[in-house]
Amino acid sequence: MARYAMVTDLRKCVACKACTVACSAEWDVPAELARTHVRTTPLAGVFPNLKSGPCVSQCNHCDHPPCVEPCPTGATYQDADGIVRVDGDVCIGCGFCVDVCPYEARFINPRTKKVDKCDFCRPRIERGEEPACVATCTAHAKYFGDLEDRNGEVHRLVFHEGARRMETETIAVGPNVYYLGQPEQLDLVLASFPPRPPLLLTAGEAWKKLVRPLVIGVVGATLVGQAAAFFTQLHKGEGDFDE
Amino acid sequence: MKSEITRRRFLGTAATVGAGAVALPAAASQKIHPPGWRGTERVDKVPTTCEMCFWRCGIVASVANGKVVRVAGHPEHPQNQGRLCARGNAGTGLLYDPDRLKTPLLRTGKRGEGAFKAVSWDEALDYLAAKLIALRKEHGPESVGFFPHGSGARFFATLMKAYGTPNSVEPSFAQCRGPREVGYSLTFGQGLGSPEPVDLEEAQLVVLIGSHLGENVFTSQITAFATGLARGAKLIAVDPRFSTAASKADWWLPIRPGTDIALLLAWMNVLITEGLYDREYIGTYAMGFEQLAQHVRQFTPEWAAPITDIPAATIRETARAMGAAKPAVAVHPGRHVTWYGDDTQRARAMAILTALLGSWGRKGGLFLPTRIERGSFDLPEFPEPKRGRADGAGTRFPLAPEEMGVTNGLIDATISGDPYPIKAWIVYGQNVLESIPQRGRTLEAIGKLDLMVVVDVMPVEQVNYADLVLPEATYLERYDPPNIVESAKKPFIAVRSPVIEPLYDSKPGWWIARELAKRLDLLAYFPWETPEQHLETILAPTGTNGNELRNCGVVAFPGKPYLEDRPPAERSFDTASGKIELFSQELADLGADPLPRYTPPAEPPDGFLRLIYGRAPVHSFARSQNNEALHALMPENEVWLHTSAARAAGVADGERIVLENGDGARSNPVRARVTEGIRDDCAYLVHGFGQRSKAMRRAFGRGASDNGLMSRVSVDPLTGGTGMRVNFVRPVKA
Repeated sequence: MARYAMVTDLRKCVACKACTVACSAEWDVPAELARTHVRTTPLAGVFPNLKSGPCVSQCNHCDHPPCVEPCPTGATYQDADGIVRVDGDVCIGCGFCVDVCPYEARFINPRTKKVDKCDFCRPRIERGEEPACVATCTAHAKYFGDLEDRNGEVHRLVFHEGARRMETETIAVGPNVYYLGQPEQLDLVLASFPPRPPLLLTAGEAWKKLVRPLVIGVVGATLVGQAAAFFTQLHKGEGDFDE
Repeated sequence: MKSEITRRRFLGTAATVGAGAVALPAAASQKIHPPGWRGTERVDKVPTTCEMCFWRCGIVASVANGKVVRVAGHPEHPQNQGRLCARGNAGTGLLYDPDRLKTPLLRTGKRGEGAFKAVSWDEALDYLAAKLIALRKEHGPESVGFFPHGSGARFFATLMKAYGTPNSVEPSFAQCRGPREVGYSLTFGQGLGSPEPVDLEEAQLVVLIGSHLGENVFTSQITAFATGLARGAKLIAVDPRFSTAASKADWWLPIRPGTDIALLLAWMNVLITEGLYDREYIGTYAMGFEQLAQHVRQFTPEWAAPITDIPAATIRETARAMGAAKPAVAVHPGRHVTWYGDDTQRARAMAILTALLGSWGRKGGLFLPTRIERGSFDLPEFPEPKRGRADGAGTRFPLAPEEMGVTNGLIDATISGDPYPIKAWIVYGQNVLESIPQRGRTLEAIGKLDLMVVVDVMPVEQVNYADLVLPEATYLERYDPPNIVESAKKPFIAVRSPVIEPLYDSKPGWWIARELAKRLDLLAYFPWETPEQHLETILAPTGTNGNELRNCGVVAFPGKPYLEDRPPAERSFDTASGKIELFSQELADLGADPLPRYTPPAEPPDGFLRLIYGRAPVHSFARSQNNEALHALMPENEVWLHTSAARAAGVADGERIVLENGDGARSNPVRARVTEGIRDDCAYLVHGFGQRSKAMRRAFGRGASDNGLMSRVSVDPLTGGTGMRVNFVRPVKA
């Protein structure tokens, strides 16, 4: 079984945001929300001794994804190859997973009212293509592949070139997006954009016991409504779908 | 010439393209689906060429049911190799921008008001043809000025020449790379062309002097830059601002603006006095070395240090790094280089540095173009204008080539009526109010015109001043002449063909030009019925043809990028001496410095900062700010101010302020970015914001226009190029 991972070489990245726009165009997501973001670290130092650098972020498809457990409907799940996904048919847009993600990789897509995030371009990789961000990267700074493929580029970069995970001592959920860069550059990125404590996770158990039955009740009602709407639509046909 | 790249059919499904003049792929269905629709129906992949900027990468458009659902990089294109920048990826945002110009418009209100009535193409073209015929009769054809830009402009250029006016002027010369082309041409006998052939991927040392690669994004150049750095190239970034490139640099030299020539002379001084230049190369290919050595002897790093604000030791260290890496030193020649009015001399200094390092025509330096033969049309002779150019190209500005012209020279002539009255402007694909400084003069000139015509895609501000507006189809809806690129390691020919039919009542430029030609009785200059025939004629000697090109998108040829690829007899230079001219007799004969000399720029008055400007990776010029995705990522610009300059002006980070120059020009309110990452004598804006046309609904009023603050220029006497970094601004309360 494959274990998919991505590596971004921050020495090459110039923060051009081609990945953001390609991803947004590929998946019809508003660019200001986007499944992948490019940020630049705040300037460190005093003129003229300065440091800063880019950071590209997205869903990390963590080994221990904190987003799966709190999902009240089971819409968020992890495939055996590590890709964390959201089933839009089941998602109710409650946003619990948005709050819990340490990498702020999730958002509610206003066009679908569902939670949205990177899925490593699952449909593209199934067609044998690279994820859209990798395919378009002007600096050739992004790599995607199977960590377990010992002949693969990603394996080499992670296990032989020292690509690093953005983890801290307290927040270590096994992200599968890795970064290459000078150690001080990666330190600066991590210090500027540290993973966020998944607060809900600690309170999660008690919280879930209270809220989950309520949510499931609401979802149940919604599903009945949706089913009714579905059959009505089926009956009417799709003629009015076109603009 | 034989093509080298596999000519396999591009994904097969594009085979319907070009079956007839208007037989477009998937054009049969008029069904429009919601954005992002991804059904199971057939998706055609149509290769063409991007025009979100002028780099012109290869793209593949996915078309489903007549709708372009995605534009991505063409994987087999030798230039961008499947990659595409943010703007290219946002191509459908231009195509489906609801604010596009949709029909021909005839002005009904006052100029500038933006009051128009929609007219048919017949009405519009009849009106224009009648006007042009009357102007020719009353004032002569030379009274019509033409402002072209972009790949569709060539059809209009032919029309204007046939009509009989010599007054065609492009801002890509006098507001952009004119001094660079002239400076390198004086030295090496040829300019650089576009894309500029900088061998960044093979360089061991990259030298950027005011070039902000990374923020200034051309896909293939970024690929080469990043690849070079990853392979271990060192980087020197000379920039008053801590640019993205500076953040990756081994040496960041925050130079005092306007003093580049002093730095360049001091570098030459070190290379020569320490014997670090490429002796053999200079001995073989160059002339004038003794005069150069004599000239730069006085310009030591110690001389340059107080001028440039760069320590002498740093100047020496960086010069030695160049000497050690030669000839694989890529001294990037820049692109927009009309800065201080001495720009041709600055380009000369960069060219001479390149020569001393033996980098011209060498791996890791600047590579050489490879010629591609192209077919020409059997046209009647063009009429000889009775009066010479009005813009001073070739006369007042002796080194400005006639095929490019001098925009500001023509604006001067329009205002003064000297050497003769200019009565009409036809503007195609350029934005005269945002790309040419001294906007007040441009407006004054427009006020003198009997006729102002704008051919454009978007209702930018200049449209409001037009008497007639012709809505052009976007690059995704039209044929243009093929993109023939010789300045590439593998030269290539790429197609620009329509992906869908033009939306609304827009028309492709070739059609507009040809319809006008019909009405002006000039159809003999357009000896083709369809753009496919036009393409076929151009391709005739190349070994490819229209069908192949439309299917593959691009055909590449083997190149000879380095001197060593060419037999010694072909390693000559197209200069008077046949050598690299370190000393320029041509300049001496014009009364100019035959060797570059530093002249100090005017310093900002107390309380004022020098206005510098540049690009952002998600925008092109002033033309992408209304694009949905690009607007979302950067809706407005901000003004960079150094911490101490901000403190002195009482400005807080994030505060909205207004920039004001000494002549009273004021910007829109703009957010201050207070930072250590800029010198304390500069203010920096990304160009292209502050759109004044309400019809550009997203972009209107957002951010500050740098161009609006350029009420002064310092004109390069050799080229007419407008030095634009001579304006001083101060932050004031909004």
